[in-house]
Amino acid sequence: MKAKNKKPLIIIAAVIVTAGVLALLYITAGQQTFIRTALSGLTLGSLFFLVAGGLTLIFGLMDVLNFAHGSMFMLGAYIGWQLYTNPTFIFGLLPQVLAFASGVLITPIIKPYLIRWKVPEYWIKILPKIGYLLSLLLFFVSFIGLDILGLADTAMVAATTATAGDALAEISVQEPLAQYWFRPILIFISGALVAFSTSKPGQKSEFAPKEKMIRKLIIPIALFILAVEATFIRETAPVTILLMNGNWRFIIAIIVSIIFGFAFGAVIEITLIRPLYVRPTFIIIMTLGLSYVIRELVQLLWDPLAYQMVRPPLFAQRGKAASLLEWLQNGNATIDIVGVTIPTYRLFVIALGIIMFIFITILMTKSRLGMIIRAGVQDPQMVEALGINVKAVFTVVFGLGVAMAALGGIGAGPFLPIQPIMGDHYQTQGLITVVIGGMGSYGGAFVGAMILGMARAFGDYFALKYSLSTAIAEASTVIIMIIVLLARPQGLFGKKE
Amino acid sequence: MSDPTKQIDLLVVDNIQTFVGQFHILEGVTVTVPKGSITVMLGRNGAGKTTTIKSILGLTPPQEGRVVFNGMEIQGKRAFNIANLGIGYVPEHRAIFRSLSVLENLKLAERKKGDFDRHSEFVFGLFPDLKRLYKLPGNHLSGGQQQMLAVARALVPDNKLLLIDEPSEGLAPILIQQMMEAIKALSETTTVLLVEQNFIMASQLAERYTIIDDGKSVKSGLMEDLVHDSELIHHYLGASIKTREELEKAHES
Ligand SMILES: Nc1ncnc2c1ncn2[C@@H]1O[C@H](COP(=O)(O)OP(=O)(O)OP(=O)(O)O)[C@@H](O)[C@H]1O
Ligand SMILES: [Mg+2]
Repeated sequence: MKAKNKKPLIIIAAVIVTAGVLALLYITAGQQTFIRTALSGLTLGSLFFLVAGGLTLIFGLMDVLNFAHGSMFMLGAYIGWQLYTNPTFIFGLLPQVLAFASGVLITPIIKPYLIRWKVPEYWIKILPKIGYLLSLLLFFVSFIGLDILGLADTAMVAATTATAGDALAEISVQEPLAQYWFRPILIFISGALVAFSTSKPGQKSEFAPKEKMIRKLIIPIALFILAVEATFIRETAPVTILLMNGNWRFIIAIIVSIIFGFAFGAVIEITLIRPLYVRPTFIIIMTLGLSYVIRELVQLLWDPLAYQMVRPPLFAQRGKAASLLEWLQNGNATIDIVGVTIPTYRLFVIALGIIMFIFITILMTKSRLGMIIRAGVQDPQMVEALGINVKAVFTVVFGLGVAMAALGGIGAGPFLPIQPIMGDHYQTQGLITVVIGGMGSYGGAFVGAMILGMARAFGDYFALKYSLSTAIAEASTVIIMIIVLLARPQGLFGKKE
Repeated sequence: MSDPTKQIDLLVVDNIQTFVGQFHILEGVTVTVPKGSITVMLGRNGAGKTTTIKSILGLTPPQEGRVVFNGMEIQGKRAFNIANLGIGYVPEHRAIFRSLSVLENLKLAERKKGDFDRHSEFVFGLFPDLKRLYKLPGNHLSGGQQQMLAVARALVPDNKLLLIDEPSEGLAPILIQQMMEAIKALSETTTVLLVEQNFIMASQLAERYTIIDDGKSVKSGLMEDLVHDSELIHHYLGASIKTREELEKAHES
């Protein structure tokens, strides 16, 4: 009963404090500066939310703090940037990725037969190991002689010569089909061997019904067809994409980043995190290590340089739009909002954050997956006992969280320099956001992110005005965190344990 | 239900051994549950009744022994697979989902689309209160209502077997009565394995019993034989049951 009465009080108090702080800032900064600074605060807040939203969902359900989240944000930016600037690299590797996935995903088809296979006791343990080893071998063999670094270089070159205007000039040749064809085949077999091993041949206690075989066939076959298709369009597809209108290209880049983020997150959860749920501290160390591995890989592929992604045409025209309509028609880089000049791309980033918040809210409150997540936060065992595959739900949620971070990355692409360390700052701010908002609360993450964004923006403004160090702005977020923690140890929207 | 010799066993727990962490909790539990009746597991606090139920469900998988459900060995399979074979679970301590509304708690239990719609009449017939409350979040329900919801949840999908762990725990006498009626009613269509400390309730509901003591099943048989065997009752169930007078009174009524 007490808790019920306390909640409105806290909300009222929070609203009053927020309104008071905003009014104070408005008075001290003046209208123009206030609007400009507030909008840049909301932009930062949006990006913080895209990182923190995934962090908090994952933490809420699985008690996992993903310290590689910032690296995944950065990876999302790189993948999107690649597609947008020169997708040679992506299309060069796509056939192998698709073929491998198609191989792995035959698991539900072969498993019902493999587990019924009569294998001597001794071989039940050995067979999967042999499968994994062979798979690993074929995996590496399928890449031998493939100039991955060369593929990666093309976008680098394209990026540095973008001003020359002719991106197509930088399309580099792919390996000829006559030399390439065996790679997707080998890696498909490698994937199929993973499927063989994870099926645990001969293990009678495993469960796999033979029902709905047709439905299980759809995904691997579709992926296989796509892999074949992708093998033939390695060279033409990048050209097609580069000839597209930049806005469409940007939309495709966003979609590709999201899909990549989801798949990457799901794979990381299954392979690296799942074995460690029983040892939570190991997960922290593992994800921390993973973040360095990702960063080193990116540096290897694209050098430790900072790239500037060209803004899509909708945000690139010179000149200031007087209204939203004019901007949408002309694609101006800036827009006039009550006399203040605002870069239009910022509005896009803010919209991205708000749309994602609405999407998560609907997902959590209206969908069955959301229901399962909310129930799983409290009692995963009971959810499992209802007949729901909780492990699979963990994988999906981890994938969703990483997809959100990747979306944040590509969203930040035209706005931040793209470089290996670009995620680090967002990792820290994301964690602080989660702590302020309350671990596991996506609403809290949204509010927390906006508070932090504002604090950063106004901190920077005042630091500049009174010629203080900008470190004050950075420290302000930590100070806010400490104040919140002292007042409400569970965070603004967190539940008491 | 008429002739026990004709019944087939829906569930056979055959001499299972279960470890929880490093603790050897079950050291040989055997329970058979004939189709179409209520079987009760009795035993002192900490005897291993809950662990037996969780072992059947695969939540604490047994290391040794067999669990046969509907003719299929299920030990070692994952819990959600076991549940999907048609086993419903009502956990002890009313483990409903507190942040979900009553309706969401019920909807979550669906295994096929439309499960809830097909069974809602039956469920709300047994627990009319829930219909009135269906928009409230779980944590706004009283203890009794939460227990009703926990049972109702297990009735949403088509289940062949229900595992019900101490449904009367902490309920007021009038609610115990209602719970008993509900379990009696649902047992007409579903087989039930019940854990119940309230001996009066257990003896009125169950056809068969198994006594678990210190991680082992020590005795099983027909309930009507047990109620007359006061020595056995006191030896194994001692502290956990009501006085004989109460027992007698219950049987007179
Ligand atoms: N996670 C655990 N770790 C250690 N011991 C446990 C754990 N779970 C249960 N036990 C022990 O196992 C034994 C059996 O527990 P269980 O809950 O199955 O008993 P029960 O018969 O259901 O008792 P109750 O009537 O109190 O519900 C108890 O002694 C308990 O202390
Ligand atoms: Mg118990």
